[in-house]
Amino acid sequence: MAKPLILSLDGNEFSVSLVKIDRERLYGAIEIEAFDEKGNEASLKVLAADGQTLIDKGGTSLTTVSEDGASVSRTELTAVDMDGEEIEQVPSSFAQPNVLSQATNEDYLAQIVKSVYLLQPFEGEKLDFLHDHLAGSKIYTFPFSYRGGVDYDSAFLVGGKTDAFMIVGKQAELQFVKLNQSAVLDSVEEEEISADDLDFDLL
Amino acid sequence: MAINISNAKNRDAVVAAEGLAPKREVRYVDKHGRPVTSRKLLKSDVSHDLPELLKKRKKLESVANALIKGDPEIDIEQFGMFLTDTSRVYVSKKGIVHLVEEFEVIKNPDGTVRDRRPRKKEPQNMNSEIPLRWTGKFIKKEDAINRFVFTNKKQLVHVNGLTFDFLFDMAKILDKKDSLLLIRGGEKGSDPVVMNRGGKPYNAFLEGRVKGDSYCLILHLSNMELKKPKEIEKE
Repeated sequence: MAKPLILSLDGNEFSVSLVKIDRERLYGAIEIEAFDEKGNEASLKVLAADGQTLIDKGGTSLTTVSEDGASVSRTELTAVDMDGEEIEQVPSSFAQPNVLSQATNEDYLAQIVKSVYLLQPFEGEKLDFLHDHLAGSKIYTFPFSYRGGVDYDSAFLVGGKTDAFMIVGKQAELQFVKLNQSAVLDSVEEEEISADDLDFDLL
Repeated sequence: MAINISNAKNRDAVVAAEGLAPKREVRYVDKHGRPVTSRKLLKSDVSHDLPELLKKRKKLESVANALIKGDPEIDIEQFGMFLTDTSRVYVSKKGIVHLVEEFEVIKNPDGTVRDRRPRKKEPQNMNSEIPLRWTGKFIKKEDAINRFVFTNKKQLVHVNGLTFDFLFDMAKILDKKDSLLLIRGGEKGSDPVVMNRGGKPYNAFLEGRVKGDSYCLILHLSNMELKKPKEIEKE
């Protein structure tokens, strides 16, 4: 069985398991079928720059190369920050309890979302304490790394009385722009709306 | 990317919609401290894949024997070369095809087929003749946070002095309301936002923040609700 994630809120520790949620699980998926003019099935392939080499799924790979074009093994790589300082590896969040701290709506809205998880109680544990806190429109955050690595993602817990979700991503670099920071390009009636009015089944 | 958007007074302007990057960037260096880069290379092509090998030898056993004896699956000259300027093409048994008929097979979350229909590629509406509309429909931030997943976002930035005032005023209104504004596209102002032709449709929400004489306008794009999948709900 998968290891639980241990969360700590106001000194109370509880274990949760993560269930990944994506569009496919909520709404289904669209698959594209294609046929040529004679009705033969056609499939997408990658065409190399020579105009002849056709590559199927799995036919390409990424490699790391040095400045002079030589292949470099992953084990020889060091992660550094923008100042060239070596970055210390972070442990997996499953290895120790994770202390939750309260976050603002603005912190949450600055997140570039990577994954969404439903939190479920681990082995019969109760999540009432967490649900009660989330029901008051509170948001909690903690640094999260699934397997450990060079950097933490940010995880935000949101939800309500019955469900709790964990949204994982990276904080975006939002910029407050002034008049001299312009970019280069390549009357309505106000009303409050209910979230139920919006259609998300956009397939 | 350009975006044509209207304000509360139904005045529109074309401004920039910039992608957002994470705060902290990680780079990798080699053992000499020199920067490295990632390159895409060719591992195998269609003419060396199993179906092609089978065509020549008919039986899997014959392919296996050929693999033991030699390297029919490898082109020493080609494999390992760096790939640049690749393109995606449709291929049928007749070779590369330029004219295809596409169908969308819509599947339910349980994998069953719900519908099959000719594929329609909707045009983008981010920067079209008809501006994206300020609908005047606001949703409280905490309500939106608990209901939607914002899977993509763009920051709107002015392109000249006039559009600075235009966007600054929008941000001021939204900052004061502490709400997100629903943004819609199309002639009737009822369509979701589509960034590229045939791209994903998104429900779009605009958030505004103001700090002194600067502003931050974020377009939050969502194609997913924050809810339990039905299969888990049933459990």
